[in-house]
Amino acid sequence: MERRDFLASLGAAATLATGASGLPLRASDAPQPAAAPVSGRITLLHTNDTHSRIEPFGPGNGAISGLGGVARRATLVKQLRQQLGSVLLLDAGDTFQGTPYFNRYKGRLDYQLMRMVGYDAGTLGNHDFDNGVGPLVEAMESMEQLQHANPPFAFVNCNFDCKGAPALAKRIRPYLVREFPGLRVGITGVGVAFANLVAPKNHEGITWKDPFESLRPVVRRLREVEKVDLVVVLSHLGYNLNGTAPDDLQMPGQVAGIDAIIGGHSHTFLDTPTRVKQAQGETLVFQVGFGGVNLGRMDFAVARGAVKAASGASMPVLASA
Amino acid sequence: MNLKPSSALLPFLLAASLAAQVAPGKTERTPISAAIPEDPAIQSVITPLAAEIKATFDLPLVPAPKGLFRGRRGEENLLGYWVADMMRQSAQGVVGSPVRFAITNAGGLRANLRPGQLKVADIFELMPFENELVVVELTGAEVIQVVKEGLVRRGGEPCSGVKVVVEGTPEQATFAVTWADGSPIDPAATVKVATSDYLYGGGDSIPTLKKGRKPFTTGITLRQMLLDQCAALAKAKQDLLPPDPGRYTVPAPIQEAIRNKTFKL
Repeated sequence: MERRDFLASLGAAATLATGASGLPLRASDAPQPAAAPVSGRITLLHTNDTHSRIEPFGPGNGAISGLGGVARRATLVKQLRQQLGSVLLLDAGDTFQGTPYFNRYKGRLDYQLMRMVGYDAGTLGNHDFDNGVGPLVEAMESMEQLQHANPPFAFVNCNFDCKGAPALAKRIRPYLVREFPGLRVGITGVGVAFANLVAPKNHEGITWKDPFESLRPVVRRLREVEKVDLVVVLSHLGYNLNGTAPDDLQMPGQVAGIDAIIGGHSHTFLDTPTRVKQAQGETLVFQVGFGGVNLGRMDFAVARGAVKAASGASMPVLASA
Repeated sequence: MNLKPSSALLPFLLAASLAAQVAPGKTERTPISAAIPEDPAIQSVITPLAAEIKATFDLPLVPAPKGLFRGRRGEENLLGYWVADMMRQSAQGVVGSPVRFAITNAGGLRANLRPGQLKVADIFELMPFENELVVVELTGAEVIQVVKEGLVRRGGEPCSGVKVVVEGTPEQATFAVTWADGSPIDPAATVKVATSDYLYGGGDSIPTLKKGRKPFTTGITLRQMLLDQCAALAKAKQDLLPPDPGRYTVPAPIQEAIRNKTFKL
């Protein structure tokens, strides 16, 4: 086991073990060689609101005519993975609804193809509930059962309380941690409110919670317990809702510690990510239209070492409640 | 899991460590164009399914012995009325409460339904777009304004739930909109209205529709809605027949002034 893996696992285990004393032994309390900064690079590739666009858009669709198509996307992803190595392929929801493929195959084809293309994680948009919870779970199940070299991809969401829908609950995790050479990445997700978007019978058993309040403890846990170097949020809230509801542009100011927001829902075509300044640092907010017309890309370089060890040593202790 | 920071410093420290560690690098969006070849393994999955989808285009839907037509100059758009009726009916089913008014755009109906046995492909020709059924709230006064805007622009966009009578001359016209049963529209009342995401988003210049409040995007494309309605008729062993005319009554000289863009209300 590499040193950083060991330290990370120790950090998580030690925190869990202390409990009531509230004084966990932290990974950063262990002596670290000051002259050995570890660094890594990661490329986030992403889509949003693909809306069952299995095939490219036909003619007569204006500027997006002839664009898109899952088979082409697969080629591009494969090329980039070969070139870059550390790659995550992510999706911000609304995979369902939009073409006869969805009407006929009820989302099973969409999720199966995502697995074949090599998605690592996705989140749920409002349209993914269009046929109700049962068919959504069936589509997930069919993706899990597919015989394919790629592993099933994960669904992340931290603001749907799925207690009343156990089959869905066990398929959605609040976050996912992936380890790459030199860095750990934490991925979580948030979904838009059901009101006026999803008919009540289609989200039976699932309660929507405030996305920012739901994100805060998850991001904190990713940073403090899971010791990730990069926090990524898959958001199906929408890019800019002009203050009418929580959106991606507000998120960095409301939740500290997010590096990248991969957005969806508003079908916003951004050429480059919007950089939202934080008190220190910045959060990149990106979204690449809809229908699989584009593939988004954000690269991050992460340097560990003296700075982190110094601040980490004085970081406050977490008390479990 | 409920973790609480024991120090108010935590957010600051998080931000500080973020700044020290992470350097965003290259960012871009790559159009998925024809310059990118298709992955053969993925395409081999899609090709037979695409053929299956296309085969469904030849499936029979429902008999339409009279056909449904958009109407020639001076005639009412009965095909549009049917689409608007289906929008109102489907919207009502989805929201579970009365939807008083529906409006669509004649420009979005791309083909007539010729008399005979309808096939799935006919509905795709009529409605090639992925426009979605949307339910919004408007006041009665706004409904009347929406009708007016559609009238001035195109001589009346296909609608459901109201009756429109224009009288007089192009220079001095009077304009009356009532509910379909002739009862008056209370300008202050809030009513549910079905339309498409295209019109609600500002397409085809019916600006008052954009004021719609509490939008409910149903997730149902207008095309799927029509396919479902045809299937339901077939199941009930009924024919698809055009709705009755009489929703818009507009004197010919005023219709001509509308076409010449000289008519104002």
